Amino acid sequence: MRLSFPYMGPTIVYAKLLELLGHDVVMPPRPNKEIIDLGVKYSPEFACFPFKVITGTYLKLMEQGVDTLVTSGGHGPCRAGYYGEVHKKILHELGYDVEIIVIDSVRDDYKYFYQIAKRLKGNNSWLKVVQVLKIVYELTKALDEVEKKVEILRAYYDNTVINKIWLQAQEDFYTVKDNSDIKKYKQRYLKKLAAYSDQIPAAEDRLKIGIIGEIFVVLEQSINNQIEEKVNRFGFEVERSQYLSDWIRENILPFTANDLKEIEHKGEEFIEINIGGHAKENIGHAIDFKERGFDGIIHLKPFACLPELISQSVMDDLSNKYDIPVLTISIDEQTADANVLTRVEAFLDMIKEKNYREVM
Amino acid sequence: MENLYLGVDIGSVSINIVAIDEQNELVFKLYTRNSGNPIQLVKKGLAKFKQEVEIDQYKVAGVGVTGSGRQLIAYVLGADTIKNEITAHARASTFYHPEAGTIFEIGGQDSKLIIVEDGIAVDFAMNTVCAAGTGSFLDHQAERLGIKIEDFGGMALEAERDVRIAGRCTVFAESDMISKQQYGFTKPEIIKGLSVALVRNYMNNLVRNRVLKGEYIFQGGVAANIGIKAAFEAEIGSEVIVPQYHDVMGAIGIAMLAKRDVKRSGQESNFRGFDLTEEEFATKSFECDDCANNCEVIKVIADGRTIAVTGDRCGKWTASLITDSSITANSSKSETTQTVVKDQAAAEEKLDLYKTDPEAEKQVMQELEELEKDDQTEKEDNILV
Repeated sequence: MRLSFPYMGPTIVYAKLLELLGHDVVMPPRPNKEIIDLGVKYSPEFACFPFKVITGTYLKLMEQGVDTLVTSGGHGPCRAGYYGEVHKKILHELGYDVEIIVIDSVRDDYKYFYQIAKRLKGNNSWLKVVQVLKIVYELTKALDEVEKKVEILRAYYDNTVINKIWLQAQEDFYTVKDNSDIKKYKQRYLKKLAAYSDQIPAAEDRLKIGIIGEIFVVLEQSINNQIEEKVNRFGFEVERSQYLSDWIRENILPFTANDLKEIEHKGEEFIEINIGGHAKENIGHAIDFKERGFDGIIHLKPFACLPELISQSVMDDLSNKYDIPVLTISIDEQTADANVLTRVEAFLDMIKEKNYREVM
Repeated sequence: MENLYLGVDIGSVSINIVAIDEQNELVFKLYTRNSGNPIQLVKKGLAKFKQEVEIDQYKVAGVGVTGSGRQLIAYVLGADTIKNEITAHARASTFYHPEAGTIFEIGGQDSKLIIVEDGIAVDFAMNTVCAAGTGSFLDHQAERLGIKIEDFGGMALEAERDVRIAGRCTVFAESDMISKQQYGFTKPEIIKGLSVALVRNYMNNLVRNRVLKGEYIFQGGVAANIGIKAAFEAEIGSEVIVPQYHDVMGAIGIAMLAKRDVKRSGQESNFRGFDLTEEEFATKSFECDDCANNCEVIKVIADGRTIAVTGDRCGKWTASLITDSSITANSSKSETTQTVVKDQAAAEEKLDLYKTDPEAEKQVMQELEELEKDDQTEKEDNILV
């Protein structure tokens, strides 16, 4: 088996997981213009944007002789649940004989998850699998912890300096073999970043933006127009609703993620039933951000995403009731950088002006 | 010598240049169509400025640039403030009309809605996916009907009957228009139908379920169109004010913001002077493939000299301009600093200043235990299987 997977967020995590299990892993390419064009060409026109990007990634991977793709599933009415099947069909029609292994949440179907896990584990013992899972989970947690610091510091210090540290950190984390490595790198990079923490102003002068939305566009910098860096550049801290460790906690580890349940519960105020994707959680996160003193919400919605379209329609009410400004940005291959920048800048200006009265 | 503040709005359809004095009085105003070469047009505009205004009496103390082409022109001019159109429009509007509550702004390729409370923008919306309902749409239809855009609005008022035209999409509006024409509707009626469709589109896409309040201000290039103004008034059932300088409000706003920024920082303006009218400007762009980001790097060249580099996320190309040293020298330098940092990090690690958070550790331990428990049940499962 020559394995690969879609590119989303810190890919080293999935690569590590499969690599530690002894598979032949091909790193997927980062989505770029070529991949997006390829994906748009071979996907149904009204498929959601993440689907198209993943199609492009798969097609690019076919050039490298990949025969098995591992991806995540979805539940509820969101179309992500069909991704695996539809991708398989598209790839087969184009003449690629490829298998797609879909990892659905362990909570949805324990037996199915077990079957998949058994396939992926190969000749490893279950003990080894659990050890690997532990390492990978620790790795994601460490990465997320460092990234959260980066998202704060970039607002106050030259973002090229902080970005360099972050890129270096990702590279180093890729080489980890065990938990002590993870701890070592985590300490090293947190310390490196801590050197800049004196740049952070007093609590009342800090401005924070929460980013919510569909998981793929929230996690993947290369297709969301580097929204986090853009917000950081205007002196605002950023925190996302989604981090990879959350996803693992929610879908792979059966005994954790109670805090996520709570967030989801908060969202029920506006969306009562599960409509798929992370719509309910996103509403919950928006309320949670407000309660934690955030100054605004940026809501990312892939064009043609059903759950996020619904959450967009309740954003006005949420914004009114909880007195927090919300900016919804629709993302697809047509999104121009200048447009996103204009909207983000105007939105952040508006938040700043609220606290600033002019002396003429 | 009195201070002047320049405001430049590089829009998709027009390029506007204004100058205001300390009292925000308009000293110079220029509205030109953007024919595709913004640098050339700005140079011409500045030349005109030099002719019309006694520049010996004034000193340019601040320059602001706004509009979708703001980045490039900002480098060319040496701007002090570069800001988006929304902020600039809100600024000018609330200066001339302090009681403003709602600002409709329709420009060449975008339309905006700004909600203002106590002179401060609190909410805004901008057309999201396409250009339907903007100035370009009207421009195009006027051309089709063979009417000058300046006469377009006035004609709508001559209409005797109402006709509904599909206004969601420029292309569909066109076919609808043609079919309505053959039913015998007159040009003024069609134009009125188009104006109503544009406003309806605006209301559905931007206003949505917002409650509009206060004085209604209508600005941007399209505000010159009295037909659209009338359609807005009919839609909201209230008077709509079109400011005196509605077509250059963005430029006025950015000039005011530049004034504020310069005053706050207390620094001299970066304005490159009127000499730039004699300089030759060019831009070059290339895709940097040094890392996975594949940034599109843009270079601005004035008289063969690179004056600005932008677009690189890591800052390497921007930095190369500042240090002005060759790339090889640069990279060797960064290498040495890197090793220093590494040594430092290693030394710091030996000190072991890092203390683990006991709470987090507890949590991790708990998770580990749970995982081990899980492991055991899984093993049992394995035996069963």
